[in-house]
Amino acid sequence: MRLTLRPSTLRAGVRRRFRRIVAVVAILGPGLIAANAGNDAGGIVTYASAGAEFAYKMLFVMLLVTVALVVVQEMSARLGATTGNGLVSLIREQFSLRLATFSVVCLLVANLGLVVSEFAGIGAALELLGVSRYIAIPLAAIGVWAVVVLGSYRYAERVFILLSLVFLAYPISALLGHPRWGSVASNTFIPHLSGSKEFLFVAVALIGTTITPYMQLYQAAAVVERGGTASDLRAIRIDSVTGAIFANVISMTIIVATAAAIGGRGPLNSAAEAAQALVPVAGHSAKTLFAVGLLGASLLAAAVVPLATSYALAEAVGAERSVSRKFRDAKLFIGLFTVQIFIGAAIALAPGNLIKLLLQTQFLNGLISPIMLTFILVLANRTSLMGDNANTPRFRVVATICTIGVGALAAFVAVQQILAWFGVG
Amino acid sequence: MLPSMRRFRGRLVDQRSIREQLVSVAGLIGRPVELAGGVEVGRVVDVIARPEDARVPHVSGLVVRIGRRKAFVPVEHVATLTGRTVTLSTSQFDVREFERRDGEVLLMGDVVDHQLVDIDGVQIVRASDLYIAPVGDSIRLVGVETGLVTLLRRLGPRRFRSRATPERVIDWTDIQMVGGLGNVRLERANRELRRLRPGDLADLLEQLGQSQRRGLVDSMDIDVAADALEEMETDQRDRLLREIAPEKASLIIAEMEPDEAAEAMRQLDEDAQVAILAAMPEESREAIGRLLQYEDESAGGIMTSVVIAVRGETTVDEVLDMLRTMDSHRDDLDAILVVDADGRLLDDVSLFELAVADRGRPVGQLVGPPWPITVTADASIDEVVDAVLSNRRSSVVVISEDGHPLGRILLDDVLDALTPTRSWLRANVGDR
Repeated sequence: MRLTLRPSTLRAGVRRRFRRIVAVVAILGPGLIAANAGNDAGGIVTYASAGAEFAYKMLFVMLLVTVALVVVQEMSARLGATTGNGLVSLIREQFSLRLATFSVVCLLVANLGLVVSEFAGIGAALELLGVSRYIAIPLAAIGVWAVVVLGSYRYAERVFILLSLVFLAYPISALLGHPRWGSVASNTFIPHLSGSKEFLFVAVALIGTTITPYMQLYQAAAVVERGGTASDLRAIRIDSVTGAIFANVISMTIIVATAAAIGGRGPLNSAAEAAQALVPVAGHSAKTLFAVGLLGASLLAAAVVPLATSYALAEAVGAERSVSRKFRDAKLFIGLFTVQIFIGAAIALAPGNLIKLLLQTQFLNGLISPIMLTFILVLANRTSLMGDNANTPRFRVVATICTIGVGALAAFVAVQQILAWFGVG
Repeated sequence: MLPSMRRFRGRLVDQRSIREQLVSVAGLIGRPVELAGGVEVGRVVDVIARPEDARVPHVSGLVVRIGRRKAFVPVEHVATLTGRTVTLSTSQFDVREFERRDGEVLLMGDVVDHQLVDIDGVQIVRASDLYIAPVGDSIRLVGVETGLVTLLRRLGPRRFRSRATPERVIDWTDIQMVGGLGNVRLERANRELRRLRPGDLADLLEQLGQSQRRGLVDSMDIDVAADALEEMETDQRDRLLREIAPEKASLIIAEMEPDEAAEAMRQLDEDAQVAILAAMPEESREAIGRLLQYEDESAGGIMTSVVIAVRGETTVDEVLDMLRTMDSHRDDLDAILVVDADGRLLDDVSLFELAVADRGRPVGQLVGPPWPITVTADASIDEVVDAVLSNRRSSVVVISEDGHPLGRILLDDVLDALTPTRSWLRANVGDR
């Protein structure tokens, strides 16, 4: 009797040790995970495209975007820690129903754009491996749906995360690819902008893919869920700031690696071109490596983003409980999840260039980012809500400048695009 | 209309006379306030009620914007109130700026769009709207609307906004407000909350935002709060303990079972520990302080210090008397300890042995095999599990190096120690 029972005791011991490791990773951070969620399919392609079209020139924009990301992620984390509420429920409680509805609609549109981009990413990755997207995307849509609604999502999630770790090859590739370091440095730190339509379009897409609304929701929710309070603010702050900086350093290495490989050859047209950037690391296998990473990142986000949207909507109408406790029984949200996957996959199936589609969805997100930024800024400014943890006057200035900067750029480019549709400009 | 009627859980909104006169609070906001002759004097800004005064609270007045001021109009001055207009019975009113007093709640500002506890359905809801209605000669707050259609109605054109759309209404008698009440003792709340099982209450607390749950815990009776906190997820419980005032936290922790209390304390940082211990009654401070010395993943860390230790000459009758005073610890006692003159452990006498023994016998005569299973306080969880498994007993006794009993580990403590804490991800993907 004794002997047969031993292994289970042993397993219990191992499990505890594992749990301790998980706990350490967990403390390392929601900030890290949240900010790095920006490096999904849309992110990879947008950064690669920036590197391909403008070589190192976009690095300065990325530096500004990093500042904005740090500011907004920190505010989101602080809102979560101070109020113990998710962003959507804060917006519902603090603004009129109309404004709250407006923000939720923006969020729905932005996230739907992301879902489209994830399926486009899946299509592009599998095309690289020689599978037609008309087979790949429907299969992936059914697979993701089944895994989340019927299957064991947790295991699938781990596999996806592992696959997407492939992109850690980018920093190495950037080092091995002999970029012109002088050019990298000057383009990063010496202020410069270009007024050309193409440059501004990519700049907005960069903002959209880096400062994605759902990252802010996730940041606040993760802090709340882990029981962070105002007394842990220091640690939470360090986590969110380092997470944002780390994520953007990775993004910048994607730009650098791509610029070193194919910089200045004009806009990115295919995933095969983007894969060139990994040749210094992987040689002939670069394409496969890129495809595997893109697939992992896309599948992960294709499952997570629609879930996050459903959860946000549940928070808005006050039905969080039904979703978090028994997602499978919450018909409305299963429906919402299904519709998102369906629309996302359907749009990604439309004939056309997947890489261009990816860029356009990130551009759309870039137009919505400043709206969510404004909501977050107003919330974090409110002393009635935040007490002593409200934005300090100095922080308020910086955050306001970031918001206005991002907003002005988005508005300018949006107007430019609309004029272009009507044949003006 | 019929199917949705079935959703009415309360008795009040089921009453026909009330149902036909429901006034939507959200729809009333911005509506004109008129004198008897039809002259508009201002617009409704908010509706005031005192939810703690009665099961079905009275509306005590309106906040009305008159010119640039917000004035309070007591309900006695209201002649008629429909969804579209409010008519006053007097032309004299106090135009001093409205100031909220303790116990007064702004129905639009504090309740609509905020979280509430539905005690009957044991869930957190968010109010889409509130319904008030004339009951007898007063206006009462009768129900909370939680439906989606109502949200759309509020977004729609103005003329639809004031139409009551009873869809999923919960009687106010089944609702507990959280937060926004100021410093009112919630007599009613505690009575209502006692209807819930501690586990359900813990669930509800986990779902509330910070200010709401701090408000709720602050107004809860200590024993109710302690029971609920024992059932909460550790992350969430730690968070809550750091949010509330140390005095309250220390009272709650002192009321918890010592092992649960020590576990909760261990998660707090040293400053918080010191503050909470300092504010605690002497007896609990000693017990918890002792437990705190042990590593949390050791025998000392998971044991309960609730034990009955008696000398051999004590009679069975006397021991039974002691047990009768320990009713609140019934789950932690499966045996009593017999110790020698120096307080060292001699034997572990199960309640069964006690129950069947002659009342007058000294317990010393019950000492004998099976001998107690003991571990030292620094034993690892694995050693505890081995000890329990190899002897098939329901508990083990924790002793010090020199043989003094320190506490007891029951099977459920072992289970707790072995069960992994649930992942935070469940919030996004549900339980799977």
